[in-house]
Amino acid sequence: MLKKGFLTTVAALSLMAAAALPAQAEVTIMYPEWIASLVEPGIEAYKAETGDTVNAIKLPGQGYDQRIALDLSAGTAADVNVVDSFMVSELAAAGYLQSLNDLAAGWDQYQYYLPGLLEVASYQGNVYALPTDTDVRMLWYDKSNFEKAGIAMPWQPKSWADILDAAQKLKDAGVQYPFQLPAGIKQGEATTMQGVYMALLGADVPEGDRNRLLNRETNQWIGDSPALRRTFDLYHQVFVERQLNPADLNYATDIGAAVRQALADDKLGILASGSWEDACLWDCNAPPSREERDALVGWTPWPGSGEPGTKATTNISGGWTIGINSKAADKDASFKLITSIFDEGNFKAWTLANHRMGVRTDISESPEYTADPFLAEATALAADTTGRDTIPGYQTVSALIQQATSDLLDGASVDEVVQGYHDALVDEFGEENVITYE
Amino acid sequence: MESNATTSRITAIALAFMAVIWVSPFSWLFLNAFNPLSTGQLEIPRAVGLDNFALAVSGNAGRQFLNSMLIAAGTATLSVVVGISAAYPLSRLRIPGRNAFLWTLVLLRMLPSAGVLVPLYFAAQRGGLLNQFGVIIALTLLNLPFTLLLLKNFFDTVPIELEEAAYVEGASLLQIVTKIVLPMSRAGIAVVWFYSFTGAWNEFLLPLIFARVQDAFPMSVGLYAAFGQQGAINYGFLTAFSIIYAAPAVGVYFLLRRNMNTGFAGVGVKG
Amino acid sequence: MKNQANPWLTSNLLVLGLAMLPAALLIGALLYFTAWAFAFSFTDLALVGKKSVDWSWVGLQNFERLFTRRGFLESLWTTVVFVFFSAIVGQSVLGFLLAALLRGSQSTIRSVVEVCIMLGWLLPDIVAAFLWSATTSQTGLINQLFVIPFGLPPINFINEYALPIVTIANIWKGTAWSYLLFSAALDSVSREVVEAAKVDGATPFQRIWMVQLPIIRPHIATNMLFITIWTFTYFPLIYAMTGGGPGTATQTLAVFLYNQSFSRGNLGFGSAISVAMLVIVGLLSLIYLRMLREPK
Repeated sequence: MLKKGFLTTVAALSLMAAAALPAQAEVTIMYPEWIASLVEPGIEAYKAETGDTVNAIKLPGQGYDQRIALDLSAGTAADVNVVDSFMVSELAAAGYLQSLNDLAAGWDQYQYYLPGLLEVASYQGNVYALPTDTDVRMLWYDKSNFEKAGIAMPWQPKSWADILDAAQKLKDAGVQYPFQLPAGIKQGEATTMQGVYMALLGADVPEGDRNRLLNRETNQWIGDSPALRRTFDLYHQVFVERQLNPADLNYATDIGAAVRQALADDKLGILASGSWEDACLWDCNAPPSREERDALVGWTPWPGSGEPGTKATTNISGGWTIGINSKAADKDASFKLITSIFDEGNFKAWTLANHRMGVRTDISESPEYTADPFLAEATALAADTTGRDTIPGYQTVSALIQQATSDLLDGASVDEVVQGYHDALVDEFGEENVITYE
Repeated sequence: MESNATTSRITAIALAFMAVIWVSPFSWLFLNAFNPLSTGQLEIPRAVGLDNFALAVSGNAGRQFLNSMLIAAGTATLSVVVGISAAYPLSRLRIPGRNAFLWTLVLLRMLPSAGVLVPLYFAAQRGGLLNQFGVIIALTLLNLPFTLLLLKNFFDTVPIELEEAAYVEGASLLQIVTKIVLPMSRAGIAVVWFYSFTGAWNEFLLPLIFARVQDAFPMSVGLYAAFGQQGAINYGFLTAFSIIYAAPAVGVYFLLRRNMNTGFAGVGVKG
Repeated sequence: MKNQANPWLTSNLLVLGLAMLPAALLIGALLYFTAWAFAFSFTDLALVGKKSVDWSWVGLQNFERLFTRRGFLESLWTTVVFVFFSAIVGQSVLGFLLAALLRGSQSTIRSVVEVCIMLGWLLPDIVAAFLWSATTSQTGLINQLFVIPFGLPPINFINEYALPIVTIANIWKGTAWSYLLFSAALDSVSREVVEAAKVDGATPFQRIWMVQLPIIRPHIATNMLFITIWTFTYFPLIYAMTGGGPGTATQTLAVFLYNQSFSRGNLGFGSAISVAMLVIVGLLSLIYLRMLREPK
């Protein structure tokens, strides 16, 4: 999000605004540009079937989250809204989204949704939005550079030591970016998800949520833990101590393009990223063929740290969702529009055409889906995935994590960074909502 | 500076050199705009074509252009009209503390747009102003501190003796203002109009949040159609669109420049 | 309200008062909206989530945080450097020089130079960011034209010299405004006065320094104020170009503000930062105001 000036939600004023909401006779929907190919056919089908009018507003991706938040709080949002999954719990907590449990019960395709993904879009037991797609995260690597560095392929690292080892070999072989690990604030959620979470989840045992940012049982944020320290140390090793990667890609004007350019120029060794790269690894407008891509890059799941009891591989998933405004005039019509968008035929076609990962078993187990080698393999990773700790307050925590990686890149020690992170959490959420693990 | 010819020649060459350096970064813009296979790199295109431009003008671009024009010209004109009406009295009447007041107003504009936009948005909604007209009023409002201060400064430099002279000759207030003050401040007024115009032309956020229908977006919003998901930017579209988008503003500049910089056209004071 | 003996004013006070009314109304509205922004700095208001509906007044807590949280003072220093070099030294001096130089030039060279600097100003910020990145990156224009042909290894200017590059980009972007303003301002200097100076034997330089500059002093002071404010709060170009990085090398207060307000969702703290910025620029403006107190 690159725009200055932003929008916020204000309780006192929204009381006044709520009174001014004019009555809507038709169904309205707001969605970002890039999801148009899923939403628009659904709208057409809905109009054809019911004869209702649909007022659709297609928004640019820039500033989208802010506009949604503002509109929902002002009561001027559309009936149906496309929302990023990590905002769902916070919006639901503020009362802006409609609980879908009852509406969905009467829909025959609801049963196919993967429960783990529904959970991500839930709050306090109720589902507030339906997922559109998801993704998994892995390590991509440049095969020609691996050959140059003498690393055996297919590459299957089993621990962080293996990754660092490979990165060292790549560095010695003259590769400019041996291990592009997302860091810093400009990368936003990419830092938190593709970088920190992927490492964190494998940094300690899963029991008691020791490998997460939140203790989901007690709803307390974890301010200090061996897992956090190990993760921060990994960053320290990569960027400061062993200097296995220059930091500049993380601040590039167009980070995606810079990374893709580095790959195209054979300057990249390992890239910590996700399944969406498959659709667009070089030139989004003219991607190379499957054979060409397989010859140039491979991928492997993120290994755990190698500490005893930790997961062998880690994964975390995000994605977008579609929800209903709690102030929508006609909730049944709104839900009908949603089912039209998510109708199997339309949804499957979009999922396949855009190389997304399916969120429903009726799609992910269909022959067309399993026939795509990448999707089939990647979906296997999704079986053991988790979601972010998206309870209200997550956005702040994520920002603090990004700040922490930024400080690490600046040269701060792991102790300092953990201390800073812990203190900031206490400052934000209060002493009683933060715990530490030994 | 009419010093000798050599100095001006040297100056001219130096300026020309500077100009070339100044626009050299634009090479990127043009190379990518005319490259149907552009990837955002700075390279000589392997193919040259107008595909990107065709893409840029397809879709809603025509409608967006009209919206941009409406918002920009409307804001500029309203700003100047409201500004002149208040700046003249502010300049001529010795209202105590007017300078301090104006400067404080300008300083207040440092507070973040986020804080101001939200109550602004709610107020607009209650007033039924969530449309182009609302955007114009909102932008005028936000510009007003700058507009007022600038115009007042320009009016201040019009010698009051001229007005006295005209009054002695029987001119009314209106005539004094329209025949003496305004023409003498023509450059300043043109600059203020142009500044308001370009500010509104480039405004993204206000039109984005005020628009209730697809058709209300101006080109500044349409520009962002170049940004796909996961940071995949269509550079060909972006650069071609930018050229088309900046061109009208440059065009308006050409129309106005005679007014903004009249050379030695200032009217002299007689006695 | 003493109006000396300007009868066309005194006899039309009502009309003049009414003329000020539309502006007064709009200013009133602006003050109302701004008051909210100011009020937020004393709250713990957040963008979304519980604190967006359930916020409370926290007094001066946000202001205390300014000094205890990492980043504010460093950002302040970066901003001062940035504003000084790009706005005060860069844009306004360059703008004035160009305005003075071009006044007497023939129209072709003037048109060419004007259009060139105007293009920089009119280009949307985000596109300008890409443009500059393409010029100063490792594979950019400077490297391709000047570094590699000489056999030197490419230098990633935008990364290694981030603050200077961003400063230059800002000068490139904003000089047109100062140029326009000073051109119009020089325009208003009465021809008689300049002619008289010429007759007195003043050189061009003396004419500018001793005659024209003092006359347009209010414009200079105003422009200083404007560009200081704009540059202090300017966000899009820097953020798009470097994200405040590498590290915090280009993290100006505006970038710091964005990170606090938006990635953190902390509108209360963000507003406090803005209020602090306002106070700082306010102090600076006292200096500029001194320039206004010309000995008549």
